[in-house]
Amino acid sequence: MPLNVLLPMVVFGIVGIAVLLHYMGWSKPATLADESAARKAWLEEFPDDPPKRVVLSHDHHAALIDTEKGHGVVWPMGADTTARYLTDAKITRTTKGLRIDLPDYTAPRIHLTLDTDEANQWPDLMEHSA
Amino acid sequence: MTDQITFPDVVSWAVPFFIAAILIEVLWIAMKGKGGRYETRDAVTSLIMGAGNVASGILLGFVAFGFFMVLWALTPLDLGTSWWVIALCFVLDDLRYYWVHRFGHRIRWVWASHVNHHSSQHYNLTTALRQTWTGTFTFMMIIRSPLILLGFHPAIVLFCGGLNLIYQFWIHTEAIGKMPRWFEAVMNTPSHHRVHHGRNARYLDANYAGVFIVWDKLFGTYVPELEEEKPDYGLVHNLGTFNPIRVAFHEWIGIFKDATQPGITWRDRLNYCIMPPGWSHDGSRDTSEEIKRKYLAHNPEKRGSPGF
Repeated sequence: MPLNVLLPMVVFGIVGIAVLLHYMGWSKPATLADESAARKAWLEEFPDDPPKRVVLSHDHHAALIDTEKGHGVVWPMGADTTARYLTDAKITRTTKGLRIDLPDYTAPRIHLTLDTDEANQWPDLMEHSA
Repeated sequence: MTDQITFPDVVSWAVPFFIAAILIEVLWIAMKGKGGRYETRDAVTSLIMGAGNVASGILLGFVAFGFFMVLWALTPLDLGTSWWVIALCFVLDDLRYYWVHRFGHRIRWVWASHVNHHSSQHYNLTTALRQTWTGTFTFMMIIRSPLILLGFHPAIVLFCGGLNLIYQFWIHTEAIGKMPRWFEAVMNTPSHHRVHHGRNARYLDANYAGVFIVWDKLFGTYVPELEEEKPDYGLVHNLGTFNPIRVAFHEWIGIFKDATQPGITWRDRLNYCIMPPGWSHDGSRDTSEEIKRKYLAHNPEKRGSPGF
Protein backbone atom coordinates (compact mmCIF):
# COMPACT_ATOMS: atom_id res chain seq x y z
CA MET A 1 0.00 0.00 0.00
CA PRO A 2 1.40 3.45 -0.86
CA LEU A 3 2.80 5.28 2.16
CA ASN A 4 0.72 8.39 1.42
CA VAL A 5 -2.40 6.26 1.97
CA LEU A 6 -1.08 4.00 4.74
CA LEU A 7 0.26 6.75 6.99
CA PRO A 8 -2.95 8.84 7.28
CA MET A 9 -4.98 5.65 7.70
CA VAL A 10 -2.81 4.52 10.61
CA VAL A 11 -2.81 7.96 12.27
CA PHE A 12 -6.57 8.47 11.92
CA GLY A 13 -7.18 4.86 12.94
CA ILE A 14 -5.20 5.21 16.18
CA VAL A 15 -6.70 8.61 17.06
CA GLY A 16 -10.22 7.48 16.17
CA ILE A 17 -10.02 4.31 18.25
CA ALA A 18 -8.52 6.24 21.21
CA VAL A 19 -11.32 8.84 21.12
CA LEU A 20 -13.97 6.12 20.79
CA LEU A 21 -12.63 4.12 23.76
CA HIS A 22 -12.31 7.24 25.92
CA TYR A 23 -15.87 8.37 25.24
CA MET A 24 -17.14 4.87 25.94
CA GLY A 25 -15.78 5.36 29.47
CA TRP A 26 -12.94 2.87 29.14
CA SER A 27 -10.21 5.17 30.48
CA LYS A 28 -11.07 4.78 34.17
CA PRO A 29 -8.22 3.64 36.43
CA ALA A 30 -8.48 0.37 38.32
CA THR A 31 -10.13 0.42 41.72
CA LEU A 32 -9.08 -1.78 44.63
CA ALA A 33 -12.35 -2.74 46.33
CA ASP A 34 -10.74 -3.41 49.73
CA GLU A 35 -7.50 -4.41 51.43
CA SER A 36 -7.99 -7.98 50.29
CA ALA A 37 -8.07 -6.84 46.65
CA ALA A 38 -4.90 -4.81 47.23
CA ARG A 39 -3.24 -7.85 48.82
CA LYS A 40 -4.26 -10.00 45.83
CA ALA A 41 -2.93 -7.39 43.38
CA TRP A 42 0.41 -7.35 45.24
CA LEU A 43 0.64 -11.15 45.29
CA GLU A 44 0.05 -11.26 41.53
CA GLU A 45 3.39 -9.48 41.12
CA PHE A 46 5.23 -10.88 44.16
CA PRO A 47 3.67 -14.27 45.00
CA ASP A 48 6.55 -15.15 47.38
CA ASP A 49 6.24 -11.97 49.46
CA PRO A 50 2.94 -11.91 51.40
CA PRO A 51 2.00 -8.48 52.77
CA LYS A 52 2.35 -7.87 56.53
CA ARG A 53 0.40 -4.62 56.30
CA VAL A 54 -1.82 -3.06 53.63
CA VAL A 55 -2.76 0.63 53.65
CA LEU A 56 -5.43 1.41 51.08
CA SER A 57 -5.69 4.94 49.71
CA HIS A 58 -8.95 6.76 50.44
CA ASP A 59 -9.91 6.74 46.77
CA HIS A 60 -9.12 2.99 46.54
CA HIS A 61 -6.78 3.51 43.58
CA ALA A 62 -3.51 2.63 45.32
CA ALA A 63 -2.17 0.73 48.29
CA LEU A 64 0.95 0.82 50.38
CA ILE A 65 2.32 -2.63 51.17
CA ASP A 66 4.73 -3.83 53.84
CA THR A 67 6.43 -7.20 53.52
CA GLU A 68 9.36 -8.92 55.20
CA LYS A 69 11.51 -7.56 52.37
CA GLY A 70 10.43 -3.92 52.59
CA HIS A 71 7.86 -1.40 51.41
CA GLY A 72 6.01 -1.47 48.14
CA VAL A 73 3.12 0.10 46.33
CA VAL A 74 0.25 -1.15 44.19
CA TRP A 75 -1.12 1.32 41.67
CA PRO A 76 -3.36 1.32 38.59
CA MET A 77 -2.02 0.54 35.15
CA GLY A 78 -5.11 1.58 33.27
CA ALA A 79 -7.90 -0.84 34.15
CA ASP A 80 -5.41 -3.19 35.81
CA THR A 81 -2.72 -2.82 38.45
CA THR A 82 0.94 -3.46 38.93
CA ALA A 83 3.26 -3.26 41.94
CA ARG A 84 6.84 -2.45 42.82
CA TYR A 85 9.09 -2.33 45.85
CA LEU A 86 10.17 1.18 46.80
CA THR A 87 13.88 0.36 46.96
CA ASP A 88 15.91 3.55 46.28
CA ALA A 89 12.70 5.47 45.55
CA LYS A 90 12.70 9.26 45.49
CA ILE A 91 9.38 10.54 46.85
CA THR A 92 8.13 14.05 46.05
CA ARG A 93 4.94 15.88 47.06
CA THR A 94 2.76 17.06 44.16
CA THR A 95 -0.45 19.09 44.12
CA LYS A 96 -2.44 15.87 43.70
CA GLY A 97 -0.52 13.61 46.04
CA LEU A 98 2.87 11.97 45.62
CA ARG A 99 5.27 11.31 42.82
CA ILE A 100 7.57 8.30 43.22
CA ASP A 101 10.68 8.04 41.03
CA LEU A 102 12.15 4.56 40.85
CA PRO A 103 15.45 3.36 39.36
CA ASP A 104 13.42 0.94 37.23
CA TYR A 105 13.18 1.30 33.44
CA THR A 106 9.83 -0.54 33.44
CA ALA A 107 8.25 1.71 36.10
CA PRO A 108 10.25 4.93 36.28
CA ARG A 109 7.56 7.20 37.68
CA ILE A 110 4.44 6.57 39.74
CA HIS A 111 1.90 9.34 40.32
CA LEU A 112 -0.35 8.67 43.29
CA THR A 113 -3.48 10.74 43.79
CA LEU A 114 -3.89 11.11 47.56
CA ASP A 115 -5.76 13.26 50.07
CA THR A 116 -3.68 15.91 51.81
CA ASP A 117 -3.45 13.95 55.05
CA GLU A 118 -2.50 10.79 53.15
CA ALA A 119 0.13 12.63 51.14
CA ASN A 120 1.57 13.88 54.44
CA GLN A 121 1.45 10.47 56.09
CA TRP A 122 2.50 8.03 53.34
CA PRO A 123 6.15 9.12 53.00
CA ASP A 124 6.61 8.31 56.70
CA LEU A 125 4.84 4.97 56.29
CA MET A 126 7.12 4.21 53.34
CA GLU A 127 10.12 4.60 55.60
CA HIS A 128 8.92 2.76 58.73
CA SER A 129 7.94 -0.88 58.98
CA ALA A 130 4.68 -2.07 60.51
CA MET B 1 16.88 -18.60 -11.69
CA THR B 2 13.86 -16.40 -10.88
CA ASP B 3 15.09 -13.12 -9.41
CA GLN B 4 12.43 -10.55 -10.25
CA ILE B 5 9.37 -11.79 -8.38
CA THR B 6 7.09 -9.46 -6.48
CA PHE B 7 4.26 -10.34 -4.14
CA PRO B 8 1.96 -7.84 -2.42
CA ASP B 9 2.85 -6.57 1.07
CA VAL B 10 -0.23 -8.23 2.49
CA VAL B 11 0.21 -6.87 6.01
CA SER B 12 -0.08 -3.23 4.95
CA TRP B 13 -3.06 -4.08 2.73
CA ALA B 14 -4.69 -5.68 5.78
CA VAL B 15 -4.55 -2.45 7.83
CA PRO B 16 -8.11 -1.34 6.89
CA PHE B 17 -9.35 -4.79 7.88
CA PHE B 18 -7.49 -4.56 11.22
CA ILE B 19 -9.11 -1.20 12.01
CA ALA B 20 -12.59 -2.38 10.98
CA ALA B 21 -12.27 -5.60 13.02
CA ILE B 22 -11.17 -3.66 16.13
CA LEU B 23 -14.18 -1.35 15.78
CA ILE B 24 -16.48 -4.36 15.44
CA GLU B 25 -14.95 -6.02 18.53
CA VAL B 26 -15.31 -2.77 20.54
CA LEU B 27 -18.96 -2.42 19.56
CA TRP B 28 -19.59 -6.11 20.27
CA ILE B 29 -18.16 -5.82 23.78
CA ALA B 30 -20.10 -2.58 24.39
CA MET B 31 -23.40 -4.11 23.23
CA LYS B 32 -23.03 -7.54 24.83
CA GLY B 33 -21.21 -6.45 27.97
CA LYS B 34 -18.89 -9.47 27.62
CA GLY B 35 -16.34 -10.92 25.23
CA GLY B 36 -13.30 -8.97 26.39
CA ARG B 37 -12.03 -5.70 27.79
CA TYR B 38 -10.52 -2.53 26.34
CA GLU B 39 -8.67 0.31 28.06
CA THR B 40 -7.73 3.46 26.22
CA ARG B 41 -4.02 3.82 27.03
CA ASP B 42 -3.38 0.10 26.74
CA ALA B 43 -5.02 0.00 23.30
CA VAL B 44 -3.19 3.13 22.10
CA THR B 45 0.14 1.66 23.21
CA SER B 46 -0.62 -1.55 21.33
CA LEU B 47 -1.59 0.36 18.18
CA ILE B 48 1.55 2.52 18.33
CA MET B 49 3.64 -0.63 18.74
CA GLY B 50 1.95 -1.99 15.61
CA ALA B 51 2.66 1.18 13.64
CA GLY B 52 6.27 1.11 14.89
CA ASN B 53 6.61 -2.48 13.76
CA VAL B 54 5.60 -1.49 10.22
CA ALA B 55 8.02 1.46 10.37
CA SER B 56 10.88 -0.73 11.58
CA GLY B 57 10.12 -3.12 8.72
CA ILE B 58 10.43 -0.26 6.25
CA LEU B 59 13.69 0.97 7.85
CA LEU B 60 15.37 -2.37 8.65
CA GLY B 61 13.61 -4.85 6.35
CA PHE B 62 16.49 -4.57 3.90
CA VAL B 63 18.74 -6.47 6.35
CA ALA B 64 16.70 -9.68 6.28
CA PHE B 65 15.77 -9.29 2.61
CA GLY B 66 19.41 -8.70 1.66
CA PHE B 67 20.43 -11.79 3.63
CA PHE B 68 17.75 -13.86 1.89
CA MET B 69 18.81 -12.60 -1.56
CA VAL B 70 22.41 -13.64 -0.83
CA LEU B 71 21.16 -17.14 0.03
CA TRP B 72 18.99 -17.12 -3.10
CA ALA B 73 22.03 -16.32 -5.20
CA LEU B 74 23.89 -19.23 -3.59
CA THR B 75 21.26 -21.96 -3.93
CA PRO B 76 21.04 -23.97 -7.14
CA LEU B 77 17.39 -24.82 -6.37
CA ASP B 78 14.34 -22.92 -7.65
CA LEU B 79 10.89 -24.34 -6.95
CA GLY B 80 9.14 -21.64 -8.96
CA THR B 81 5.90 -19.86 -8.07
CA SER B 82 3.13 -22.40 -8.63
CA TRP B 83 0.26 -22.55 -6.14
CA TRP B 84 1.42 -25.79 -4.52
CA VAL B 85 4.86 -24.26 -3.91
CA ILE B 86 3.23 -21.30 -2.17
CA ALA B 87 0.98 -23.66 -0.15
CA LEU B 88 3.95 -25.83 0.86
CA CYS B 89 5.97 -22.75 1.73
CA PHE B 90 3.10 -21.50 3.94
CA VAL B 91 3.08 -24.76 5.91
CA LEU B 92 6.88 -24.95 6.25
CA ASP B 93 7.09 -21.26 7.16
CA ASP B 94 4.55 -21.92 9.91
CA LEU B 95 6.87 -24.65 11.23
CA ARG B 96 9.63 -22.05 11.08
CA TYR B 97 7.36 -19.63 13.02
CA TYR B 98 6.76 -22.25 15.72
CA TRP B 99 10.49 -22.60 16.41
CA VAL B 100 11.26 -18.88 16.21
CA HIS B 101 8.38 -18.27 18.62
CA ARG B 102 9.60 -21.03 20.96
CA PHE B 103 13.10 -19.56 20.89
CA GLY B 104 11.44 -16.21 21.57
CA HIS B 105 10.23 -17.52 24.93
CA ARG B 106 13.27 -19.61 25.84
CA ILE B 107 16.23 -17.44 24.82
CA ARG B 108 16.35 -14.07 26.57
CA TRP B 109 18.01 -12.34 23.59
CA VAL B 110 15.01 -13.24 21.44
CA TRP B 111 12.54 -12.68 24.30
CA ALA B 112 13.84 -9.10 24.52
CA SER B 113 12.22 -8.52 21.14
CA HIS B 114 9.09 -10.60 21.68
CA VAL B 115 8.29 -9.58 25.26
CA ASN B 116 6.41 -6.45 24.20
CA HIS B 117 3.75 -8.60 22.50
CA HIS B 118 2.97 -10.08 25.93
CA SER B 119 3.21 -6.82 27.87
CA SER B 120 -0.50 -5.95 27.80
CA GLN B 121 -2.74 -7.14 30.61
CA HIS B 122 -5.57 -7.13 28.09
CA TYR B 123 -6.32 -9.63 25.36
CA ASN B 124 -8.14 -8.08 22.44
CA LEU B 125 -7.52 -7.40 18.76
CA THR B 126 -5.22 -4.46 19.53
CA THR B 127 -2.98 -6.88 21.46
CA ALA B 128 -2.37 -8.68 18.16
CA LEU B 129 -0.83 -5.48 16.79
CA ARG B 130 1.47 -4.98 19.81
CA GLN B 131 4.44 -6.18 17.77
CA THR B 132 8.20 -5.86 18.11
CA TRP B 133 10.36 -3.03 16.81
CA THR B 134 13.59 -4.94 17.30
CA GLY B 135 13.07 -8.27 15.55
CA THR B 136 15.99 -7.67 13.20
CA PHE B 137 18.43 -7.66 16.14
CA THR B 138 17.45 -11.18 17.22
CA PHE B 139 18.97 -12.59 13.97
CA MET B 140 16.06 -15.04 13.81
CA MET B 141 15.98 -14.52 10.04
CA ILE B 142 18.60 -17.29 10.06
CA ILE B 143 15.84 -19.81 10.85
CA ARG B 144 14.33 -19.01 7.44
CA SER B 145 17.58 -19.93 5.66
CA PRO B 146 16.61 -23.56 4.94
CA LEU B 147 13.48 -22.43 3.10
CA ILE B 148 15.46 -20.17 0.77
CA LEU B 149 18.17 -22.78 0.26
CA LEU B 150 15.49 -25.37 -0.59
CA GLY B 151 14.40 -23.17 -3.49
CA PHE B 152 11.55 -21.04 -2.13
CA HIS B 153 12.03 -17.51 -3.45
CA PRO B 154 12.49 -14.88 -0.68
CA ALA B 155 9.45 -12.97 -1.97
CA ILE B 156 7.29 -16.10 -1.51
CA VAL B 157 8.73 -16.75 1.95
CA LEU B 158 8.00 -13.16 3.06
CA PHE B 159 4.53 -13.31 1.46
CA CYS B 160 3.74 -16.47 3.46
CA GLY B 161 5.13 -14.83 6.62
CA GLY B 162 2.75 -11.91 6.07
CA LEU B 163 -0.22 -14.27 5.62
CA ASN B 164 0.84 -16.04 8.83
CA LEU B 165 0.82 -12.76 10.74
CA ILE B 166 -2.60 -11.82 9.34
CA TYR B 167 -4.03 -15.21 10.36
CA GLN B 168 -2.85 -14.63 13.91
CA PHE B 169 -4.70 -11.31 14.16
CA TRP B 170 -8.20 -12.74 14.68
CA ILE B 171 -7.15 -15.22 17.39
CA HIS B 172 -6.36 -12.36 19.80
CA THR B 173 -9.87 -12.09 21.15
CA GLU B 174 -12.03 -13.17 24.06
CA ALA B 175 -15.16 -12.60 22.00
CA ILE B 176 -14.87 -16.08 20.48
CA GLY B 177 -15.07 -19.05 22.83
CA LYS B 178 -14.19 -22.30 21.11
CA MET B 179 -14.34 -23.13 17.42
CA PRO B 180 -15.73 -26.46 16.09
CA ARG B 181 -13.81 -29.45 17.43
CA TRP B 182 -12.16 -30.36 14.10
CA PHE B 183 -10.91 -26.78 13.74
CA GLU B 184 -9.56 -26.66 17.32
CA ALA B 185 -7.74 -29.94 16.63
CA VAL B 186 -5.75 -28.62 13.68
CA MET B 187 -5.70 -24.84 13.70
CA ASN B 188 -4.50 -22.24 16.17
CA THR B 189 -7.60 -20.61 17.65
CA PRO B 190 -8.53 -17.84 20.12
CA SER B 191 -8.79 -20.49 22.86
CA HIS B 192 -5.34 -21.98 22.17
CA HIS B 193 -3.73 -18.56 21.92
CA ARG B 194 -5.36 -17.22 25.09
CA VAL B 195 -3.42 -19.97 26.84
CA HIS B 196 -0.22 -18.74 25.23
CA HIS B 197 -0.82 -15.22 26.60
CA GLY B 198 -1.64 -16.47 30.11
CA ARG B 199 0.77 -15.68 32.94
CA ASN B 200 -0.74 -18.44 35.08
CA ALA B 201 1.94 -20.98 36.06
CA ARG B 202 -0.03 -23.63 34.18
CA TYR B 203 -0.01 -21.72 30.91
CA LEU B 204 3.62 -20.51 30.82
CA ASP B 205 5.64 -21.65 27.78
CA ALA B 206 2.73 -23.26 25.96
CA ASN B 207 1.05 -23.08 22.54
CA TYR B 208 3.72 -21.43 20.39
CA ALA B 209 1.82 -22.13 17.16
CA GLY B 210 1.18 -19.52 14.52
CA VAL B 211 -1.42 -21.08 12.24
CA PHE B 212 -1.38 -24.85 12.88
CA ILE B 213 -1.66 -25.99 16.52
CA VAL B 214 -0.43 -29.42 15.41
CA TRP B 215 3.19 -28.25 15.90
CA ASP B 216 2.58 -27.85 19.65
CA LYS B 217 0.96 -31.27 19.81
CA LEU B 218 3.89 -32.74 17.86
CA PHE B 219 6.62 -31.11 19.97
CA GLY B 220 4.95 -31.47 23.39
CA THR B 221 4.10 -27.84 24.16
CA TYR B 222 0.32 -28.00 23.79
CA VAL B 223 -1.84 -27.02 26.77
CA PRO B 224 -5.64 -26.73 26.39
CA GLU B 225 -7.57 -23.79 27.85
CA LEU B 226 -9.29 -25.08 30.97
CA GLU B 227 -12.81 -23.98 31.81
CA GLU B 228 -11.88 -23.73 35.49
CA GLU B 229 -8.76 -21.62 35.00
CA LYS B 230 -9.18 -18.44 32.99
CA PRO B 231 -5.92 -17.06 31.59
CA ASP B 232 -4.54 -14.06 33.45
CA TYR B 233 -2.91 -11.96 30.73
CA GLY B 234 0.36 -10.07 30.85
CA LEU B 235 3.90 -10.62 32.08
CA VAL B 236 5.06 -12.43 35.20
CA HIS B 237 6.19 -8.94 36.31
CA ASN B 238 3.89 -6.46 34.63
CA LEU B 239 5.14 -3.17 33.29
CA GLY B 240 4.47 0.09 35.13
CA THR B 241 4.45 2.24 32.02
CA PHE B 242 2.51 2.71 28.78
CA ASN B 243 5.43 4.51 27.12
CA PRO B 244 5.96 2.67 23.79
CA ILE B 245 9.72 3.36 23.85
CA ARG B 246 10.02 1.65 27.24
CA VAL B 247 7.72 -1.17 26.11
CA ALA B 248 9.90 -1.74 23.04
CA PHE B 249 13.31 -1.61 24.69
CA HIS B 250 12.91 -2.52 28.38
CA GLU B 251 14.18 -6.09 28.14
CA TRP B 252 17.19 -5.02 26.04
CA ILE B 253 18.01 -2.51 28.79
CA GLY B 254 17.57 -5.28 31.36
CA ILE B 255 19.98 -7.57 29.49
CA PHE B 256 22.53 -4.77 29.23
CA LYS B 257 22.34 -3.99 32.95
CA ASP B 258 22.55 -7.65 33.95
CA ALA B 259 25.36 -8.57 31.58
CA THR B 260 27.51 -5.56 32.46
CA GLN B 261 27.17 -5.71 36.25
CA PRO B 262 30.47 -6.00 38.10
CA GLY B 263 31.67 -9.13 39.84
CA ILE B 264 30.29 -11.87 37.59
CA THR B 265 32.06 -14.21 35.19
CA TRP B 266 32.03 -13.96 31.41
CA ARG B 267 29.96 -17.13 31.33
CA ASP B 268 27.37 -15.41 33.54
CA ARG B 269 27.35 -12.41 31.18
CA LEU B 270 26.70 -14.71 28.23
CA ASN B 271 24.03 -16.61 30.14
CA TYR B 272 22.16 -13.37 30.87
CA CYS B 273 21.81 -13.09 27.06
CA ILE B 274 21.02 -16.64 26.05
CA MET B 275 19.43 -18.44 29.01
CA PRO B 276 15.64 -18.45 29.46
CA PRO B 277 13.97 -15.29 30.84
CA GLY B 278 14.20 -15.23 34.64
CA TRP B 279 17.64 -16.88 34.78
CA SER B 280 20.08 -15.19 37.15
CA HIS B 281 23.63 -16.04 38.17
CA ASP B 282 22.70 -16.14 41.88
CA GLY B 283 19.30 -17.80 41.55
CA SER B 284 17.54 -14.69 42.85
CA ARG B 285 14.94 -14.74 40.05
CA ASP B 286 12.55 -17.36 38.78
CA THR B 287 12.41 -18.99 35.35
CA SER B 288 9.11 -20.46 34.20
CA GLU B 289 10.26 -23.91 35.43
CA GLU B 290 10.87 -22.49 38.90
CA ILE B 291 7.49 -20.68 38.87
CA LYS B 292 5.75 -23.96 38.00
CA ARG B 293 7.74 -25.83 40.67
CA LYS B 294 6.78 -23.31 43.35
CA TYR B 295 3.14 -23.38 42.24
CA LEU B 296 3.03 -27.17 42.50
CA ALA B 297 4.64 -27.03 45.94
CA HIS B 298 1.59 -25.02 47.09
CA ASN B 299 -0.89 -26.93 44.90
CA PRO B 300 0.37 -30.55 44.78
CA GLU B 301 -3.03 -31.81 43.62
CA LYS B 302 -2.47 -30.04 40.27
CA ARG B 303 0.59 -32.19 39.47
CA GLY B 304 0.04 -34.13 36.26
CA SER B 305 -2.75 -31.85 35.02
CA PRO B 306 -2.32 -29.93 31.71
CA GLY B 307 0.65 -27.57 31.81
CA PHE B 308 2.34 -29.34 34.75
